[in-house]
Amino acid sequence: MRSIAEINDKIQRQQAIVWTVEEVKARVQEMGVTQVAKQVDVITTGTFEPMESSGAILNIGHTDPPIKIRQCWLDGVPAYSGFGAVDLYLGATQMADYPIADGTDGEGSRERGGGHVIADLIAGKPVQLRAIGQVTDCYSRASFETTITRDTINQFYLFNPRNLYQNFIVGVNGGDRSLYTYLGPLQPHLGNAVYSNPGAISPLLNDPDLQLIGIGTRIFLGGGIGYVAWEGTQHFPLQKRLPNRTPIGPAATLALIGDAKQMNSRWVRGCYFRSYGSSLMLGVGVPLPVLSEEVVVHCAVRDQDLVAPIVDFSIPRRVRPTFGLVSYAQLKSGRITIDGKIVRVAPLASIYLSRQIAAELKDWIETGRFTLTEPVAQIPMDRSFLAQDRWGTQISLE
Amino acid sequence: MKKRVTLIFPKRAVHMPVTYRLAKDFNVAANIIRAQVTPNQIGTLVVELSGDIDQLDAALEWMQSQDIGISIASREIMIDEEACVHCGLCTGVCPTEALSLDPQTFRLNFTRSRCVVCEQCIPTCPVQAISTNL
Ligand code: SF4
Ligand code: SF4
Repeated sequence: MRSIAEINDKIQRQQAIVWTVEEVKARVQEMGVTQVAKQVDVITTGTFEPMESSGAILNIGHTDPPIKIRQCWLDGVPAYSGFGAVDLYLGATQMADYPIADGTDGEGSRERGGGHVIADLIAGKPVQLRAIGQVTDCYSRASFETTITRDTINQFYLFNPRNLYQNFIVGVNGGDRSLYTYLGPLQPHLGNAVYSNPGAISPLLNDPDLQLIGIGTRIFLGGGIGYVAWEGTQHFPLQKRLPNRTPIGPAATLALIGDAKQMNSRWVRGCYFRSYGSSLMLGVGVPLPVLSEEVVVHCAVRDQDLVAPIVDFSIPRRVRPTFGLVSYAQLKSGRITIDGKIVRVAPLASIYLSRQIAAELKDWIETGRFTLTEPVAQIPMDRSFLAQDRWGTQISLE
Repeated sequence: MKKRVTLIFPKRAVHMPVTYRLAKDFNVAANIIRAQVTPNQIGTLVVELSGDIDQLDAALEWMQSQDIGISIASREIMIDEEACVHCGLCTGVCPTEALSLDPQTFRLNFTRSRCVVCEQCIPTCPVQAISTNL
């Protein structure tokens, strides 16, 4: 039909036809798969959601005399320093060890974690650094304190071990006390429900078998350019799937990498879930090249064709009981029925911002600022899940 | 009965032991919700007054006679448009559906007239976009 090289050629001439995945879904209804596949070269998808398995690599540059950092805090949040002398890795869920001296009260700084520090650096704000070194013959300094910004450090890139979950769960609480979870507060007696995947617009639900997305795929990451680095942690492609190949629960994941210095604070936000902890809300956009009609068939999937399992968080076990499956069309209606009870359901992914990312990426491609890459290797689709599986195969299709 | 009021003290009244006088002269208990008082500057105090209705009114009148400004402004929910990411999480805990997502655009909608200021949404918001004005 068309190759990635041909598409890139059109992009460079600013002649590529680019539609967002929602435009594709609507036009497939009007004109059918074949016509759409003939017309469109690239389909853009996007999501904006908390992605807690995210982190930033920083190289702060050498001091004089030099230091081999063994312990380090950025605005009071510990960063891992078990690499070369001044390399640091700051995780999004890491909480502050001590409050920073900016006049905020204790509660304020307890609600700040690695995600906030990463977002502040991306926003160009100064961050306080405290480091303790191990004194050696080549690194004589024992401690160091300074203020850094993204312009005063060498490398600053996100390297996120698990992003872009292909589908997720719906959290509820069947118990009798409020629960504070990574999905936000869950009120007792099925008081509310929360889902966290944006459904039919979500990147990996539109390429269910990862035939287009692979290692090396260039993406929109936090407003800058990023790449798919590897399969993500807890990658579970063998999750049960519907006939349309989409999984019925959490499945594939991807590790992503991208230069944080190019990112924009509009698409990277620190966040905090009450009595759970900090995280990072991140915008990711993925382009899908229309190499065959099958690509359009997969992208035509709609919210009524996608499901997620309703999981009861009141039982603190690895394998939690479920209340069955619910479609994304029901979830997006704002109400679902569980055991005959009507329950309000709220998203956690921002559908509003997810759409804007798909539109932004479309604009980048149309104006020739973003070309596509051929994956250098496929993501393995045969990873089984070991016992750490939190919700794997107990989810049945009934 | 209870009344939540904001008291604004002129410089010279900052030193006045107001809560003591309210309790002793009017039998009105003042529960301080928020205070901003620095010596020799204008101070503000948000208090919840409780007592007999007539004595409450008398206490308010007395404070006015002492040049203490009184505002009965009610607490309101504020949403920071810049910070809000329209995730919708707050809509699931709002008991009155004052917070909802637009079914088409999925933007956050706030219908102030429905809000009962229960404040459940405030700690729920993951980006601290919701606060009160007082
Ligand atoms: S204060 Fe209560 S009623 Fe008002 S918006 Fe927040 S949750 Fe809804
Ligand atoms: S929870 Fe906060 S960020 Fe999310 S929609 Fe509500 S106000 Fe906006």
